Amino acid sequence: MSKKLVSLFLALLMMCCTAAVMAESNAITVTDMFGREVTIEGPVTRIIALDPGDCEMLYAIGCEDALVGRGKYCDYPAAVLELPAVQSGADTNLEEILALNPQVVVMSGMHHTIEHVELLEQNGIRVIGTDANSIEGVYQNIRLLGTIMGKDENAEAVIAEMQKTFADVAAKSEQTDKTIYFEVMPLEWGLWSAGNSTFMHELAQICGMKNAFADIEGWKAVSQEQVIERNPDYIVLVTGMGETAVDEVMGRPGWESITAIKNGAVYNADSYTMTRPAPRLAEAAENLYNFLNGITK
Amino acid sequence: MKKLSEHFSWRTYILFIAALIAAMLLCICVGSVNIPLGDTVTALWNSLWGMEIPTGISKSIILNVRLPRVLNVALVGAALSLCGAAMQGLLRNPLADGSTLGVSSGASLGAVLSLALGITIPGTAYGGTMVMAMLFAFLSLAAILGLAYTLDRSLTTNSIILIGVIFSMFASSAINLVISFAEDHIKSITFWTMGSLSGTNFSHTRILAISVLLCGGVILRYARELNAFAIGEDNARHIGVNVKGVKLIILITVSVLIGVCVSISGTISFVGLVMPHMARMITGPNHKRLLPASMFSGAIFLLLADLTARTILRPIELSIGVVTSLVGAVAFVTIFYRTRKAR
Repeated sequence: MSKKLVSLFLALLMMCCTAAVMAESNAITVTDMFGREVTIEGPVTRIIALDPGDCEMLYAIGCEDALVGRGKYCDYPAAVLELPAVQSGADTNLEEILALNPQVVVMSGMHHTIEHVELLEQNGIRVIGTDANSIEGVYQNIRLLGTIMGKDENAEAVIAEMQKTFADVAAKSEQTDKTIYFEVMPLEWGLWSAGNSTFMHELAQICGMKNAFADIEGWKAVSQEQVIERNPDYIVLVTGMGETAVDEVMGRPGWESITAIKNGAVYNADSYTMTRPAPRLAEAAENLYNFLNGITK
Repeated sequence: MKKLSEHFSWRTYILFIAALIAAMLLCICVGSVNIPLGDTVTALWNSLWGMEIPTGISKSIILNVRLPRVLNVALVGAALSLCGAAMQGLLRNPLADGSTLGVSSGASLGAVLSLALGITIPGTAYGGTMVMAMLFAFLSLAAILGLAYTLDRSLTTNSIILIGVIFSMFASSAINLVISFAEDHIKSITFWTMGSLSGTNFSHTRILAISVLLCGGVILRYARELNAFAIGEDNARHIGVNVKGVKLIILITVSVLIGVCVSISGTISFVGLVMPHMARMITGPNHKRLLPASMFSGAIFLLLADLTARTILRPIELSIGVVTSLVGAVAFVTIFYRTRKAR
């Protein structure tokens, strides 16, 4: 609950604050996505990203050499696996982080709290908070990282590339009333779908479709009956359940009346590209477009 | 003096069955999606007699989603409530129940271990989880009772519940430990602990029905012995009850039932604790009446709780445990207060 409040609060702050920059000598002052003002003595040469999304962004803007550690769930690009891993989220371990002697730690508001921030700050480590829940938020996140790493141009280039991909997909997509049902947790464990304010919702819109659960906010447990009643034209699995996932969905009793099941329009998407705040969301949009239009690669 | 029959008359059974069927019909007719009452009745009636169901009726929702779920919920409710009643009688302890004694947590630990170690029974989808849940339910019960015996031969209310609560904590820590070690299976384990009755189908109904019939039959057959236990173990021994044998059989049966329920629906608390007390207020302490009444009331209670869970926030679904705990806790305090005051 408190996480919810925090992210709501942060979302509001995001609207008000732009990464304000004041360049004084080598010091950079930015407002991070937690709404904190952070002054960093540049240039940053030792940084740790605790969340996979931030890690992917740092790679994308060409900061791989400055990365000295990663949160243990950071796994893309593959080269990042060679870096020492530290605990993240609720298990964030101060000693592990201090041992790597970073100047800056990047952490997202999704899994971390203000206590984590304070703990690191008290030990002389600057913390940059990120919190991207929309594609616009991802741009802001990339810009923020670009600013602190002195890679503004690269950041803008990555953003422009993403914008171009989204625009291309949107341009070639036909606007329809067809619906996509995104499944983030399979039936066996209680059905969850992604509603408004998720990347998946935005991706559906970019592809000219509607999210079948646009009326719910974020990720929620939904009734199986509702899925059958809403009769989605496409089903996209973001469950990361492996190869048998599509067969399992196709064989669910009671689902045979759903249009997507009748047409075999069930797609087992790569859950990381679809859910992480990262430049690869552009790839996710292309993949989704290809699936919706029957293009197989 | 009018002699009170020990058993329920057939009239009472018809009443119970009618109430249960009414609750089940209500739960099939009302759901997350609104379906006209006529359509629901037509779908049920026609499928019952094997007739064609007119098109345009949401037959898949009624027959493939709601019907199995309602049946499973009723069976789990009956099973948990029966287990609670049997343990309360056997241990002469009004607080005994799968969740307070730590049996449910033990069963969860077994299920999580089976996922972490990849224990499966070939040819079955969840046989491994189920058998491990049963096994651990029994081992936990044996461990808890064994420990309680060595501390306090009379198995008083306080010591056994205390040990049960501590065992529950131990089991949850052990589950977390297993999760920390089993990084490869972290997803399936985490999901399993969030599991619910929402994804269950007719294959679960079959397993639940067989377990409830077999185990329920065994427990109901021992109603007389449970009555003797309720007065005291010595008393039971004096009137010729094989105390150890009966105890073992009932404990094994209860473990099997709880193991099956936990592996299918996860831990649902308060049903087994509260419903026997409610039933007792109507039927009195005789187990020949109490046990069947507990089954029916447990089934009806869980059906209504599930109905609330799936409709109150639609299209979102609540976890059934939230409803049973909220209602159950309030009901339990009320019952306890009233019975204590009456003394």
